[in-house]
Amino acid sequence: MKLVRYNEQRDKLDYLFDLAEKVEDPPDSGRATQCKIHYSFVPSMHDGVLYMATHLSAPPIDLPAYSPWYSWHDPQRCFRGSALLAFDTRSDQVLWWWDTLIPKESCRCLLHDEERGLLYAMSYPRDHLIVYDLRTRQRRDIGRISSINPQALFLDKQHRVWTSSDYGRLVRYSPDTDRLDISPVLLPHNADYQTGWHSVFYDIAPSPDRECVYASTWCPNPPLMRIWPNQGEWPRVEDLGPATQARDDSFPISMYDDHCGGLTFAGDGKLYYVASRWRDPEFNPMPRAESETRGVVWRLDPQTLKREEVAELKHPTGQAHYVSRGAVDHNGDLFFANIGNQPSGIFKVTMPAERKKANAHLPIRMWG
Amino acid sequence: MQTKKSFDPNSPEIKAYRDDLENQFVREGLMVTFPMCLPGMTTPIPHQESRITALDVNCQGHIYGGTSGRQTHLFAAAFHGPTGIVMDAGTIPGATATAAVCCGESRTIAFVNVSGRGRAVGMSHIDLAQDFIQEWGLKPPVLADLGECVAAEAVVCAVCTPSRKTIVGTSQRHLFTVDVESGKIAVVAEIPADSFLAVRGNSVFGADGTRLWQYDLASGKIRWAAVQLPQGDWSSPNRWVCDSRTGLLFTADASGRLFSFDENENFRCLGKAPLAPVGAVAVTADGRLFGFCGSEIANLFCCDTVSGKVTQLGVAISVIEHRRYGYQFGAAVIGRDGEIVFGEDDNGGHLWLYFPKILST
Repeated sequence: MKLVRYNEQRDKLDYLFDLAEKVEDPPDSGRATQCKIHYSFVPSMHDGVLYMATHLSAPPIDLPAYSPWYSWHDPQRCFRGSALLAFDTRSDQVLWWWDTLIPKESCRCLLHDEERGLLYAMSYPRDHLIVYDLRTRQRRDIGRISSINPQALFLDKQHRVWTSSDYGRLVRYSPDTDRLDISPVLLPHNADYQTGWHSVFYDIAPSPDRECVYASTWCPNPPLMRIWPNQGEWPRVEDLGPATQARDDSFPISMYDDHCGGLTFAGDGKLYYVASRWRDPEFNPMPRAESETRGVVWRLDPQTLKREEVAELKHPTGQAHYVSRGAVDHNGDLFFANIGNQPSGIFKVTMPAERKKANAHLPIRMWG
Repeated sequence: MQTKKSFDPNSPEIKAYRDDLENQFVREGLMVTFPMCLPGMTTPIPHQESRITALDVNCQGHIYGGTSGRQTHLFAAAFHGPTGIVMDAGTIPGATATAAVCCGESRTIAFVNVSGRGRAVGMSHIDLAQDFIQEWGLKPPVLADLGECVAAEAVVCAVCTPSRKTIVGTSQRHLFTVDVESGKIAVVAEIPADSFLAVRGNSVFGADGTRLWQYDLASGKIRWAAVQLPQGDWSSPNRWVCDSRTGLLFTADASGRLFSFDENENFRCLGKAPLAPVGAVAVTADGRLFGFCGSEIANLFCCDTVSGKVTQLGVAISVIEHRRYGYQFGAAVIGRDGEIVFGEDDNGGHLWLYFPKILST
């Protein structure tokens, strides 16, 4: 598992180091291997440190598959735990190689409350919220959230940490009271055939003024939404409508095809995201000559909520419709992480000059 | 980079491993979760207040229980016929743990701990035998604080005697009784160590290290060191479960070894649970013992109490209407028709109904 960085001078990827080796958990250990970092890169702006925490899914070297439930009690096979690293981006040095962020479990997503020096993580598979104090390098288990792992956390101005439950409700952790609360309000979903079940957060982007966040959920026909966490006892949640195409809802669309992610604000103050599109004989009869699926870059104006297609991602040989995360760099260009091909890759979308600005990445997103 | 596989995908070992993975979740019978509310009518018991740590069943087959966590709730539940309800009966000020719930003849008594001090709380039986659709009604139950059981000591365990008129309990250092009707609490004796209790006929047993003491309900006398525990790891307090059909008692040592006990035939070693510690267990009418073993992510297991054979049944999962994984369970009782009701000891805890596989004859 290599840490990879886009190098704008070379316009290529730098492969920095092997994390499995650095965290002393080699791939031939016989245990489930350190194989990826999921949504668990978080910056530290005051010192330039990038924190990262590892995730599981790959099997031990001599087995064809791995299940954390099956091997939980097997010390020879069980995943050792999510390893947390601190990488100094100014010196390109690893400040400290690893702490175990979550024993036996992996880190699905990570958040950094920089003012308080706390990292928050969602564990997999038990779905516990973990808090890690960067000063003391101690962790604490806040407790279980649900069964379906949410894929994102976000922070509000009161240092409260938010995520979602299996039932499509907001979950709020208030560090000042040490309480986990579940919202009465349901996240947006298609009431024609959904109940909110499985409406867990997939991706969440903060607005530049930090007054609201934009989110997509990980469920069929994922909707976009806008949430105002700093207002009221429970936030106002606005349903911005489905991100992907209409379908025959009597038959499930593959979750590998029906997807929305990569939410990020650009230098022009607009939200960009990638939504999939697929051939459907009734709802989207694309020509046969084209690929079955497409990754469409959309722009949403926060003022008018008007949406428009602005680009299509093209992969030279593989698919381009399953984007997990997006980012804007200091020049104002967009980057989208695409999965589903081997190896996974990053798309760069060069923005028109009028939509760029210097330091477009600021204020930076503090969660993965 | 493609690395060479270091296993043969067609080998019997790898095929067996794949089979095991496919059966890692409950592989026999069916588990169904029920939320801690009247679905669609009331809100569930709050997320951090719903760790179910005590259950009992009354003569009507209705379930009574209590939660632990940020705040204790007592509840009553019914699942048969046109019921389908978990009713939140209320909270006890300051209580954060339910040690036991006992369905007595005339009412239910719960034992909760408030800052390490155990209190008895009476709850009248609730009319759950209703048709909970369209026209129905329930009055909030009255919870009666019966007082502290033993001064400045947490309650550890409490069990109903066969008459259901008396409850016997232990605190950290004492044995006590509660008269269900009057609510009168009496301290019986000092005990050497905190202990879970087992009732068999007129005898109540509790452990002291590697020996059991025996409290005779008729005479009120205690025989210390009455029974020697079998060879095993008795380093932590052992829980008991009773086969209501035969009166036979079952327990497990800290390593998961299972034993049956009656005072005539003494202990018989059964099999060993796949994992330790053994947690919530219950015995079905056909003599099978079902329970959870292992910490953090517990596994269901079954022990045939006749042959002693133990079978690992996997991690709890319910997929009826919604998926939920079950990792930790704090209590178990046998329901009206032989199903097992497990109380989930976790945030957002549910009641889990387990319908074991029907054995062919």
